[in-house]
Amino acid sequence: MFDVKGSMRVITAMIELEVRRVMHDRTELYFRAVQPLLWLIVFGYIMGSLRAIPTGGIPYTDFILPGVIIQSATSVAIFFGLVIIWERESGVLKKLVAAPCPRFAIVVGRAMAAGVRALFQVLIILPIAVLLGVHVILNPLYLLAALAVVFISAGGFAGMSIWIASILKSRERFVGIGQVIIFPLFFASNALYPIATMPAILQWFSAINPMTYMVSATRALMITGDLSTIWIDMIAILAFDVFIFWLAARDFRQVIN
Amino acid sequence: MKAIEVKNLSKKYATVPALKDVSFSVDEGELFALLGPNGAGKTTLMRILTTQIDPTSGSAKVFGNDVRSQSGEVRSQVSYVPQEMSVWSDITAYENLLIYAKIYGIPAKKREDAIQSALKTMDLQNVSGRMVNTYSGGMVRKLEIASAIMVEPKIVFLDEPTIGLDPSARKTVWDKLRWLNRNKGTSVFFCTHYMDEADLYANEIGLISKGRLRKIGTAEELKSSVSNETITIEATGLDSGIVRGISGLPHITGARVTGKTLRIMAINSDEAINPVMNLLISTGVKVKSVSSSKPSMDDVFLKYTRGKGKEQETAIADIKRARDRIRKA
Ligand SMILES: Nc1ncnc2c1ncn2[C@@H]1O[C@H](COP(=O)(O)OP(=O)(O)O)[C@@H](O)[C@H]1O
Ligand SMILES: [Mg+2]
Repeated sequence: MFDVKGSMRVITAMIELEVRRVMHDRTELYFRAVQPLLWLIVFGYIMGSLRAIPTGGIPYTDFILPGVIIQSATSVAIFFGLVIIWERESGVLKKLVAAPCPRFAIVVGRAMAAGVRALFQVLIILPIAVLLGVHVILNPLYLLAALAVVFISAGGFAGMSIWIASILKSRERFVGIGQVIIFPLFFASNALYPIATMPAILQWFSAINPMTYMVSATRALMITGDLSTIWIDMIAILAFDVFIFWLAARDFRQVIN
Repeated sequence: MKAIEVKNLSKKYATVPALKDVSFSVDEGELFALLGPNGAGKTTLMRILTTQIDPTSGSAKVFGNDVRSQSGEVRSQVSYVPQEMSVWSDITAYENLLIYAKIYGIPAKKREDAIQSALKTMDLQNVSGRMVNTYSGGMVRKLEIASAIMVEPKIVFLDEPTIGLDPSARKTVWDKLRWLNRNKGTSVFFCTHYMDEADLYANEIGLISKGRLRKIGTAEELKSSVSNETITIEATGLDSGIVRGISGLPHITGARVTGKTLRIMAINSDEAINPVMNLLISTGVKVKSVSSSKPSMDDVFLKYTRGKGKEQETAIADIKRARDRIRKA
């Protein structure tokens, strides 16, 4: 007896809320664009000129752009829990759980809203990267598909963020956790170097690291155009999202208690 | 139909009891106040009634629907304004209402009308395009109430609706809520620890302290249950014989003279005054002045919650909450 219509209504309203927020204040997005661009320009240029990393003939800045994009999108998402904590401290969440909408839809809606915020972030980074000379496949279908991958990836991480927020409940504890999650996953993925160059234990870890599949799918769509294994990436990303949403919805009640 | 029916309701947080065996009912169309000191369990009761948390035992129904087994039905008939700020401050007031209208599923055709009429009711039409973070505390409260009434609920729950507001904003909020109650027939259930608000605005008051519902009734009923009314007479020529005579009259429960002051305790001072005056005049007492006082809501509050709350905390908690509201607004 799952209320599909009601859930869709709530999810789209949550996404609209986030779009309106972004429209009112974009400064945060601009500030957050600085770090990924530094990765691309400074790190990408230096490592590229060393030619220390075998990228299969792809220029190094091209190679890392998908990773930098996924890193920046998931960073936006992982801090979305702070919004939930603010809404918990104010009365917004109490009001939402007393409203006629499924709690699952509140969680998925908020996570997808964070996905939209992450998309705006990427729409700032991507044109600059192209101007800097990164060879992005400019086929609109590929680009749209890549943005969709970014969207559901960020949504999954935002779900994780909401789940962490319902357990930690406090702003102070939360702030540290964000970076502690993103950076290890970033470094233990194929974002900056091919998996084959990693030590065995990291190779094993990268295989269960959702970020690996997110980077891999984005790289296939934006840079290499080789879609032969993208179905594996998509299954992995969707499985991650479903599992995280289930977890976050299950524990969401705690956030208001 | 009863708006609210609560039977033997108890709630424990882990092992801490917050509500103990609470039973009462509220009729449809009432403006009901739950009055009690901080920590009495008011918010807990309200959150159970709005299906946010489950009771530990007992049952609660809102318009006949059980808060546990029919929580969906309950949610579609109620609106809830929490004590804390419950609107998004980084979008405009209009956008807040728009998003809530969509969450509640008001059909697209009716949405604009619903929003405009809620804004109009709360006198916010001219400022609806402003960002909420430029609003005063009173305006935020009005917007919260606008968003609660926009969905045309059968009952509105408000937790400490005027906390942190200045007197004129408090009055506006009450004028609006009373208007809604009278003209739209919306039932109103509010929590407060301000005795004057319960006294002035509620048709019926439930007094709660330490998780127990101590007393329920109209303000008049509560007051007359507390103590007698007092008649104070200033006069010359008073003596103990007169005191004995007065004590024997109907409606009188006691009398005492101190110097030129005669204090009489009466069940009903209006009924008691004539026989008293007749007796005084017939014994040659010269009366200079007569006054009477009825018990106030303070007396009621003190009698039923004395030593049972944390009253010294009230002021500090108030200030802290008011600050929080300002900081977040
Ligand atoms: N989420 C909670 N967890 C544990 N104890 C709580 C919680 N909420 C309230 N309490 C406790 O329950 C009691 C009643 O609280 P509350 O219902 O908020 O009272 P009121 O609204 O009348 O001030 C208080 O002793 C309070 O400390
Ligand atoms: Mg309270």
